[in-house]
Amino acid sequence: MSLKLKKENIDEAVRTIMELGGKGILNCVQCGACSAVCPGVKAGFPVLCRLLIKKLTTGQLEEIIEEPSSWGCQACNRCTEVCPQGVRPQEVVFAFRRYQANEMAISTSTTTSQMNFYETGHAVYTESSKELRKQVGLPEAPPTTVSDAQGLKEIQTLLENSPMGELGFF
Amino acid sequence: MEKFGLFLGCNIPFKAPDIEQSFRQVFPVLGVEPVDIEGATCCPAWGTAPSFDLTSWCAISGRNIALAEEKGMDLMTGCNSCFGVLSEAKHFLEDKERRAGANKLLEKVGREYKGTSDIYHVTHVLHRTIGTDRIRESVKFNLEGMRFATQAGCHQLWPSDVYKVSEENPFFPTMLNELVEATGASAPHYSRAEACCGMGGMRSTDVEKSLKIFKDKLLSIKEETDPDAVVTTCSSCFLQFDQAQKMLRDKGEIDFEIPVLYYTQLLALAMGFDPSQVAAVSTTDRAAVIAEIQNPARQAN
Repeated sequence: MSLKLKKENIDEAVRTIMELGGKGILNCVQCGACSAVCPGVKAGFPVLCRLLIKKLTTGQLEEIIEEPSSWGCQACNRCTEVCPQGVRPQEVVFAFRRYQANEMAISTSTTTSQMNFYETGHAVYTESSKELRKQVGLPEAPPTTVSDAQGLKEIQTLLENSPMGELGFF
Repeated sequence: MEKFGLFLGCNIPFKAPDIEQSFRQVFPVLGVEPVDIEGATCCPAWGTAPSFDLTSWCAISGRNIALAEEKGMDLMTGCNSCFGVLSEAKHFLEDKERRAGANKLLEKVGREYKGTSDIYHVTHVLHRTIGTDRIRESVKFNLEGMRFATQAGCHQLWPSDVYKVSEENPFFPTMLNELVEATGASAPHYSRAEACCGMGGMRSTDVEKSLKIFKDKLLSIKEETDPDAVVTTCSSCFLQFDQAQKMLRDKGEIDFEIPVLYYTQLLALAMGFDPSQVAAVSTTDRAAVIAEIQNPARQAN
C-alpha cells in the first residue's frame, strides 16, 4: 500500500517543527548518517533522526504524537556533527518533543524535574545533599538559588511568564 | 590569577559535592580562581525548559550567562549537560529575533543577555589555560604504572561548531587522555571510547535500554583495558558509571566492578588532598584505587 501524502498535512507538520526550532528539516535527503551514529537508535528507540524526519516530512505529525522515542534522545548531537546537509537533526527531535510536550504527550519522568526546578531552581535536588555537602567540608547549600531568595524569585518569574507556566507543573 | 565563574549545575553540588570540593581545592593551586556565581540555577537541563519552549530555555540559560557577564568573566562548568545546554543556548541566541524574545522575558527580572561571556568546560581550562606541563609539576604522587579508561562524555564533543573549544577529532577525543597522562598514568584507547554511557534522557525514559548501552561500553573497557578506574569529566557519566554497575551486578549481568573518579578527583588525590573531602561519595567502592594513588612509595622526593 502506498502512502498517500496530503499537502496540507505536510505543510502543517513542517511549519510546526520549524517554528518550534527545527529550522533545517527541509534540507534532509534521508541519507541516514544521523541514525547510524545515534545511541538512541542503537538502544532501540526507532523513531529518531532519519525516521522521525521522514515521518514529519510526510505529514505524520499527529500520528506519532505518543511516540516515546524523542524522550529517549540524549541530545548528544552526534547527528548534528555528521549531517552533511546542515539539518541539525537534534534540533528537529527537540522541536518534535516541544510539540509533544505542548500537547501533554510527555514522558512522566519529567514531572519531578519541573517541580524541583520551580521550587529550588534546580531540576535535580535532594534534601539529603545538605548532609553530603557538610561531610566533604562544604557549606550545606551551594551559592545558587537554593541559598539566594532573590535568584529563586527571578527563576520563578521567568517560568511563570513562559508557556511552561500554563502546563500545570507548578 | 585567572578567574572563571564556576557554574555548578545540579548533579555536582547535590549528588557529588566531593567533585565540587575537588574544583575548589585543585584550581587555585594551578593558578585559576573559581568564582561563585551567586543565584545561578539549573542550566536548564534538557528534560526541562529545552523540551518545552525554546525562548524560555534561551532566557533561563541567558540569565545564567548574564550573571557571569555582570562579573566580567567567562563561565567554567564541570557538567557536560550544562556545557552543552549553555553553549547551544548561545548558538540559538545568535539569532536576533530569538535574542530579543529571550531578553524581553529577562526584562521582567531586570537582566539582559549580552553575549559577552564564553562557556568553557573544566577540561578546557585544565588543558588549554593551565596546561599539562603545569599539572605534571603539581602532582605529589607519580601514578606511573596505573591505568585509567577515559570517558569524555557526549556534550563536550558534539556539535563542535557551537563550542568555544573542541577536539581536533571529536570522534577520537584526546584532551582527557593527555590530562590523565600528565599524572604519570596511562590512558589506553579502547574501541568504544566515544560511545554513549546511556545516562540522560535515555536512562529516565527506559532504564533497560540505558543499561544495555552502558553494558556494551563497560565490557569494552573491562576486556580491552582492565583499568584501575574509569576517569571522566562528565558528572552525568560519573553517576552512570558509579551507579549502573551496581544495577548490572544486582541483575547478575556482570561479576566485576570498576571504580570511577571524576578527573579533578584523580588530580586532587595525586596532588595529595584529603580523600574524605575530594573523593568521599560513591556507590562503587574506591578505597583501593585511592590507596594506590596515595601510596607513600609513589611520593616524589
